[in-house]
Amino acid sequence: MHLTAVWFALVAMLMALGGVAPAVAQPAGTLVVGLVAEPVNLDPAQVTDLNSNRVGRRIVETLVMFPDESTQIAPGLAESWTISKDGLRYAFKLRKGISFHDGTPFNAEAVKDSIERQINPEHPFSKLGKYPFSGFYFGNIKAVEVVDPLTVEFILKEPRASFLTILAVPAASIVSPTAVKKFGQDYALQPVGTGPFKYASWERGQRVVLEKNPSYWRFPVKIDRVVYRPIVEDQARLTELLTGSLDLIVGTPPDYVAQLESNPKVTLLKQVGAHVWYLGINNQRKPFDDKRVRQALNYAVNKDAIVRDVLKGTGSLSRGPVLPGTWGADPNLKAYPYDPERAKKLLAEAGFPNGFATTLWVPESGSGMQSPVAMSTVIQSNLKAVGVNIAMQTMEWGAYLAKLRTKEQDLFALSWMAGNEDPDLVMYPLLHSSQWTPNGPNRALYKNEKYDELLHQARLTTDQAKRAELYRQAQRLLIEDAPWIFVDHEIQTAAHSKRVQGFKLHPSFDLRVETISLK
Amino acid sequence: MRRYLARRLLLLVPVLVGVSIVIFGVLHLSPGDPAEIMLGSQATKEDLVRLRESLGLNEPLPIQYVHWMGHVVRGDLGRSIWMKRPVLPEVLGRLGATLLLTGTALLLSTAGGLALGVASAAWPRSLLDRLSAVASLFGASMPSFWLGIVLMVIFALWLGWLPASGMYASYGGGGVGDLLSHLILPAVTLAAASITIIARLTRSTMLETLGQDFVRTARAKGVAESGVLLRHGLKNALIPIVTVVGVQAGYLLGGAVLTETVFAWPGVGTLMVQGILARDFPLVQGCVLVVALAFAVINLAVDLLYAWLDPRIRYE
Repeated sequence: MHLTAVWFALVAMLMALGGVAPAVAQPAGTLVVGLVAEPVNLDPAQVTDLNSNRVGRRIVETLVMFPDESTQIAPGLAESWTISKDGLRYAFKLRKGISFHDGTPFNAEAVKDSIERQINPEHPFSKLGKYPFSGFYFGNIKAVEVVDPLTVEFILKEPRASFLTILAVPAASIVSPTAVKKFGQDYALQPVGTGPFKYASWERGQRVVLEKNPSYWRFPVKIDRVVYRPIVEDQARLTELLTGSLDLIVGTPPDYVAQLESNPKVTLLKQVGAHVWYLGINNQRKPFDDKRVRQALNYAVNKDAIVRDVLKGTGSLSRGPVLPGTWGADPNLKAYPYDPERAKKLLAEAGFPNGFATTLWVPESGSGMQSPVAMSTVIQSNLKAVGVNIAMQTMEWGAYLAKLRTKEQDLFALSWMAGNEDPDLVMYPLLHSSQWTPNGPNRALYKNEKYDELLHQARLTTDQAKRAELYRQAQRLLIEDAPWIFVDHEIQTAAHSKRVQGFKLHPSFDLRVETISLK
Repeated sequence: MRRYLARRLLLLVPVLVGVSIVIFGVLHLSPGDPAEIMLGSQATKEDLVRLRESLGLNEPLPIQYVHWMGHVVRGDLGRSIWMKRPVLPEVLGRLGATLLLTGTALLLSTAGGLALGVASAAWPRSLLDRLSAVASLFGASMPSFWLGIVLMVIFALWLGWLPASGMYASYGGGGVGDLLSHLILPAVTLAAASITIIARLTRSTMLETLGQDFVRTARAKGVAESGVLLRHGLKNALIPIVTVVGVQAGYLLGGAVLTETVFAWPGVGTLMVQGILARDFPLVQGCVLVVALAFAVINLAVDLLYAWLDPRIRYE
């Protein structure tokens, strides 16, 4: 850890000392994007990582989609929809005159095939891929029915108000059935959709090239092609941006943020994402079954210091699972300030005037985990200051996730990348008592009947204002119960050269290069 | 000779079977399973069970191994869990880039190491000799990924002479010039440690050879000093050097994993890292098997080279 920091410092010094070489220009109309890893495949229904989706979602689209600045629901391939009174039937009117890149007309059959291949083992496309999230997202779908070529109806097993948001997730993308039939298992390598770009070529390990869809239905795309290059090493990606070989990079390491911000050759963008990083507490274990102990832990941790010194500003303070500023968030939610004295007092009240010893499990890395070990180390020393002695155990990501299912955890560091702002898709899975691990992702084993009921009611209510009120009440319960130590929401960063115009980061972590024009 | 070759080639079979058992065991017994990593923190229990089932991970390990080997002997390394692609063409497609990188690095380190070593032996304790000793210490003790980053900052960022990563320009590149300019930094980075090892070894074996009677005789006959050094000295010092070069070839194939990752070189190394992070068992197994085979073939070639260098060596 220390050695790495020294190396970073040395390299940063070297970079600061020298000037920067003259830029190499790309061919006009070609945008080159540096990714932190190579996409695994380009079918959003068959991947779980950001990189693959950031490329794949340029090719395929969803029935409803998020506008360019938020994760609120807007019409996509469907121009309108109606929801039955009982909340069990969602009927979508599809847009007329849209074709897939291969000429296949976009219609209700295509919608049915795209979703059914993931949930119906009898569907002819079912065996052609592995669909990791079919249960999580689409487990509640009873049937998809074609009403007429431009009307499709989803019938649910139980009412679920977040269903529209679910239809905007990457896995709900609509694919060309002709292409799936034609390419079979290889479809995931050369997807065909209705999106702003179409698949052109993929040289493994080197680049994925997409070309513009000249007849894109939403707006004329202003760039001719996008080249995605996988460059794992942070320094290499940065150098390529500064020398002009790349136009846009995402995931700049926190240590480089300040340097890029002051560099006149590039523009640094920041955008908080629909994500939450928390330190889970096993609510069923002693001494954490006492609310005062959990509250004490929240007072003891200096979250400001973590965001400022470890994340270098690439995180925004969290007061709960819901992203502040979105419709479900409670703007008046109280926070836990850094107050070690109060923490000690609460611990004493709970019968631990001299603190106690416990364990903290931390993954070495993992999707959405930011800097887990460094962040946990700060937490460890904060808690030590109030008498809570922590033995920290770091683990490999896969092993860590498996171990959390044993319910043996005391404290654990984890994050959740919802990618959308619907509270149902973060508050329910993470904290509803029906979602206790190993069946679901409630690994803090939190249970509060009032909370459960509020969340259940919110699922049955399709009116967003009413839902918001229920979620706000539930968030106030969470603050009081303190089932986690609330830490931060990730601020994504990207940097681009001055020739890139009109680019914005998206709260869903998507990378919408179709909005770009090149100078 | 032919019988020797046949025997050595046959010996490859148990070696590869051993490698396959070790890599299969290490991967499957190490913590973290692919379904878990693929699904991440949002997985439901049913999703996990279904994915594990469809990946065949619920079978006992020996059965999984036999199943995999059954395909391997028919030349089918399976399909990558993540990429959905057949493994063999994927690995072979990347092998060229890795062989080009390691081959160039081997050439650089052998030529550079021999030249430095011979010069140091010809003028022991000279300034050149001392400098080369210091450089060796530096080269051998510096982590290659750090050297790579420093070279990248100097030659790509400051001077702008060379590209920082990849094998060809981002778009519209191609051609030998483009390739060479991309090859220089990773090849030098990869070769750095080997150059110093070969140079130090060449120096010591050369010094030993130059102290022998036949060298004194050659000098007494009036053979020019360059002839003494190269024809009499170097040729007789070559056997241990060739051995080390052979070992270095294997080391470079392994070291390429790091260098390829730093420079985004599209070889087997970057593929393997990707596979390891995702616990993509068939992919990693395939990469290791192919690299092990390449290493074994290089070793065989080195052994055959001995006879050519020293006619006294016979293969029975």
